[in-house]
Amino acid sequence: MSILDKPKVSSRSIPNPKKSLITRLHMGTGTVVGIIFAALTYYGLKSIYVTYTDKVADPMTTHNNNIILLGAMFAWSVGFLVGIGAFIGPWRWLIGKDLTDEEILYMAGDGQGKKRYFKYCTDHKVVGLQYLVGVMTLLGVGGMMAMMIRTNLARPGAHFVTPTVYNSLVGLHGITMIIAMIIVATGPFGNYIMPIMIGAYDMAFPRLNALSWWVLFTAIPVLCSAWFLGGIPTGWTAYAPLSIQAGPGMNAFLATIIIFAVSTAVAGMNVTTTVVAMRTKGMKWNRVPIFVIGSTISVALAIPAFPTFMAAMVMTSLDRTFNTGFFDANMGGSGWLYSNLFWIMGHPEVYVILIPGVAILMEMAPVFVRKPLFSYNAAILGFAGIAGLSILVWAHHMYMAGWSPALNGPFMVTTEMISIPTGLLFLVLIGTLWRGKPWMKLPMLSIMAFIWDFLIGGVTGIYLSDVPADSYLHGSMFVTAHFHFTLMGAALTGAIGGLAYWYPKMTGRMLNERAGYISFWLVQIGFNVIFFGMFMVGAEGQPRRVVDYAALYKNSNMVSTVGAYSVGIGMIILLWAVIHSWTKGVVAPMNPWGAKTLEWTVPYPVPLTNFDELPIITSDPYGYGKGK
Amino acid sequence: MADHSAEEMAPTPGERITGFFKRKDVARTTILFVAWTTLFIVLGLVFYPKWMPIVMSKEMKSAESIMIWFTVISAPIAGIVLAVTTNAFLDMHRGDTPPPDGPAIRTNGPIVAIWTIGSLLFALVAIVWGLLEVNSQAVAAGNDAKSAITIEVTGAQWLWTFKYPAQGIETHDLNLPVGVPVVFNVKSADVNHSFWPVQLGVKIDANAQVTTVTRTTPTMIGPIEVKCAELCGLYHAYMETNGAVMSKTDFNAWVVAQGGHTS
Amino acid sequence: METSTQNQVSGGKHLTSAITFLFLGVAIVATVGFTLHKVSADPQAKMYATTNGTINYNGQNLKHAFITEGVYPEPIASKAHGASGGSHLNWPSYGPATHLVLPAHAYVTMTLHVYDSGEKLNTNYFAKVVGTVGSTATFDGASAGSILATEVQHTFTLHGIPTSTQDPLFVNVPLPRVVADDKGNNIPTNDPGTNKSGHTVVFSFVTGGAGEYVWNCEYPCGDGTYAKFGAVMGSTGYMSGKVSVING
Repeated sequence: MSILDKPKVSSRSIPNPKKSLITRLHMGTGTVVGIIFAALTYYGLKSIYVTYTDKVADPMTTHNNNIILLGAMFAWSVGFLVGIGAFIGPWRWLIGKDLTDEEILYMAGDGQGKKRYFKYCTDHKVVGLQYLVGVMTLLGVGGMMAMMIRTNLARPGAHFVTPTVYNSLVGLHGITMIIAMIIVATGPFGNYIMPIMIGAYDMAFPRLNALSWWVLFTAIPVLCSAWFLGGIPTGWTAYAPLSIQAGPGMNAFLATIIIFAVSTAVAGMNVTTTVVAMRTKGMKWNRVPIFVIGSTISVALAIPAFPTFMAAMVMTSLDRTFNTGFFDANMGGSGWLYSNLFWIMGHPEVYVILIPGVAILMEMAPVFVRKPLFSYNAAILGFAGIAGLSILVWAHHMYMAGWSPALNGPFMVTTEMISIPTGLLFLVLIGTLWRGKPWMKLPMLSIMAFIWDFLIGGVTGIYLSDVPADSYLHGSMFVTAHFHFTLMGAALTGAIGGLAYWYPKMTGRMLNERAGYISFWLVQIGFNVIFFGMFMVGAEGQPRRVVDYAALYKNSNMVSTVGAYSVGIGMIILLWAVIHSWTKGVVAPMNPWGAKTLEWTVPYPVPLTNFDELPIITSDPYGYGKGK
Repeated sequence: MADHSAEEMAPTPGERITGFFKRKDVARTTILFVAWTTLFIVLGLVFYPKWMPIVMSKEMKSAESIMIWFTVISAPIAGIVLAVTTNAFLDMHRGDTPPPDGPAIRTNGPIVAIWTIGSLLFALVAIVWGLLEVNSQAVAAGNDAKSAITIEVTGAQWLWTFKYPAQGIETHDLNLPVGVPVVFNVKSADVNHSFWPVQLGVKIDANAQVTTVTRTTPTMIGPIEVKCAELCGLYHAYMETNGAVMSKTDFNAWVVAQGGHTS
Repeated sequence: METSTQNQVSGGKHLTSAITFLFLGVAIVATVGFTLHKVSADPQAKMYATTNGTINYNGQNLKHAFITEGVYPEPIASKAHGASGGSHLNWPSYGPATHLVLPAHAYVTMTLHVYDSGEKLNTNYFAKVVGTVGSTATFDGASAGSILATEVQHTFTLHGIPTSTQDPLFVNVPLPRVVADDKGNNIPTNDPGTNKSGHTVVFSFVTGGAGEYVWNCEYPCGDGTYAKFGAVMGSTGYMSGKVSVING
């Protein structure tokens, strides 16, 4: 049976393959088996590797502590996946007793009601909602840490937390939000909406889809464990050799990334294959919705980029466990090796974050202005140009590293060039707005907020990309403000707009409008207050990632903190709206926005295989306007 | 009459342009464009110089200039983007049903072309400006090499120390003579730090594996601050120290007071 | 399609639910904040310098303040981590406090009783005595301006962020190691005043106006991690702390 065949749906009987293990496995069994694997590994390794205790004063035994912790963390992840049944499919295939049709249907969640959200369910819609909850959790945890950071910075003197706690807050806030922003658009919407949008029954690899979510899920407790292991002294960039010097908490960070890299690799393969191979009849490339194109380009960029991050984390782990010396100058290693590997991932990664966010906004713009998307081709060229160029710019993060001053010039050229395809994205959006009457709903507000936020982010990026200005601005709060404007402004704003837009299709209800507006304004105004204050102190000379600062920066920091509380309250209100409207919101019609993409042609609840008959496409979905 | 009517009714290019700007949305967008562009120009010309520290070297001046003038140059682009957006915002349609469809504009070849070429030109201006500046700093480095004071900067967790080999002193404050080129050879005793004498506008990371170099010439007498610009662990925030640019006489007196010699 | 009347009718219920949720959210964030704040409290009680008389320094009559600290190879002896010694029994520690409070505009004489072994500094600068009166300290009674950079057990290095609201203050005093390597022998069984198997370092410096500063040790006495500056060196309450200079 090929992936393109329509799966058989038994219309009468609910699949309940008796004697099949998969009916008894779920999150709970996964957790139990995960803990058992972790404990066995922990105590097993402990008996082999003597740890640094008061009985053995040999300082090299700190490495053994890292071996034990890393081993236990990976064992937890593998154990959880075993316990939830992730490997049953491949195992049965290996031993020649492939899954039966009934078992496959069962794994797709047919007839299990709400329980399927807690199981290894292959239905892309289930995976999409699981990702949504996961993203909201990460945003909540990361956002809480941001509140702590800003509370500490409200006054000089480090009165709120110690430097150890503060540095951990900064580093863990960073990595939590980066992970959240990478998956915020492609996770919930790339999974739930995209296959329906291209007229497919499901994704190309449904079991890998479930795998990508549950692998990510196992990384979340690992990340949180950093707090109980003493935190981390590095930022989210985890520069070596500080990361080699770091305490046990660093292992949690390293393990999280290594696990997360598996999740994104799997998800990336799935999305690209699905879009390339499973578009419905008539959906030629120039009729594909821009959101699908953007998501595909984004994950296609992620596939080569993230492995270098994983490699850097593996090498850091090896330095910390088996004393390999990749990044230790005393052993012939170099911190620059780490920086290069990291930023070869790090720069494409911010475009992995940006592109889906913008693609969502471009998808919504025609719907809310009732005009075609302006220059669809420019949009595609913009995304493709950004993706292509992004691989060539990484060392602009290293202008001041001293690594290769001769390369500063070439990297400056490539970095400035990225402003050209980025400019095309702006043109597409304002061209769509021009001469239209915007329908003032939350998606439209998000588009306008993005334009403001990303414009500021982009212009400030131009200063940073110029070497002589960067020699002042690098490592200051100016950089922090710049990337918050670009990342939050694009990914978060785009995702919130997308959530309001697709909420009716994912939950059958409309998101509470008034709460949405209140949240929007609190967040956007607060956000601008925080980061304008931060541009100021950065230009005035406050370094970044500092627990304390000179009196000169006092007032702006207090202003930034007030802005942060506004964002916090706004996000809590949004969270309320999402949860409350899920069950008590106004029931939504099938196509509340009058949009033309395929997901609005299916009812809610969306049937298991999305369509009874796959649709045939004859035009792109932007046929708005008088005098087509 | 039929023969002439087509020529009489077709507008001249001049009429077409004035007609375009008389349209309500275009007129409003133009006013918004002027407002937003002015705002950005003011941001660049007024606020950046206000915020940034005292300029005490050519490199600092260069950094400040870039921030000011790139803002001014990008002001019209920001102006157009924001003008179109705010114009649309002012035209908003409220209610539970969508507004009527707008014109079916799929693309506009000339606009896309102008926009792309415009961005290319802007990028080129930024690139050429930056490359010229980088080059002039490299040339200055070459010219000043012989007359420069060398200072060996060591970043340790969590303090800066400065060794002046020619003067035979080692201190934790950075004092420099005005008008004399200075070359900083920077190294770390442990993890990555970043040497940042703020008012001098230069910066270079301190690494353990290799000595890195940056240079400048202080042009004004006054206090300077040296900060660490790379998170280096527990007391990264406290890895700051004072310094000053002094007259040559004062500098020599200070060197002698530290137990060194002036050559 | 549903109209907005339903929203108006149950608007009151929505509002209550939203406000309750908001309070709950703020309460959770506040609880987390409060917990982090508590965890960040000074690991030991502050130690105040005692003022005793005045002293003439550079023509000025300054308050003469005295403060005594110790540096121990094991935390139990430091009395800074409780009777059990805390969770890191291998970590050397200053004691009995790491947050020192000194009077402003005073002549402060600090006595350090030090008991640990040691080796080579990462940065030789810190083997020099800097910022003290006369740029010297007395080591077991003998005055010197530096010690050998290869025979250091710890340093007392006091510094702060240069800022407009306080005077700068910088002091660095290297502490000579105790030669016997067996840590067991170096734990004083009596009060530090007995000088048992340790060294006594005494130095004086003058404080400026009120301000907040930090101090940390610059000798890499961490574990086997990179540059031996990890573990104990990267934690507060052992080899690093605060100095508050207060008025009155």
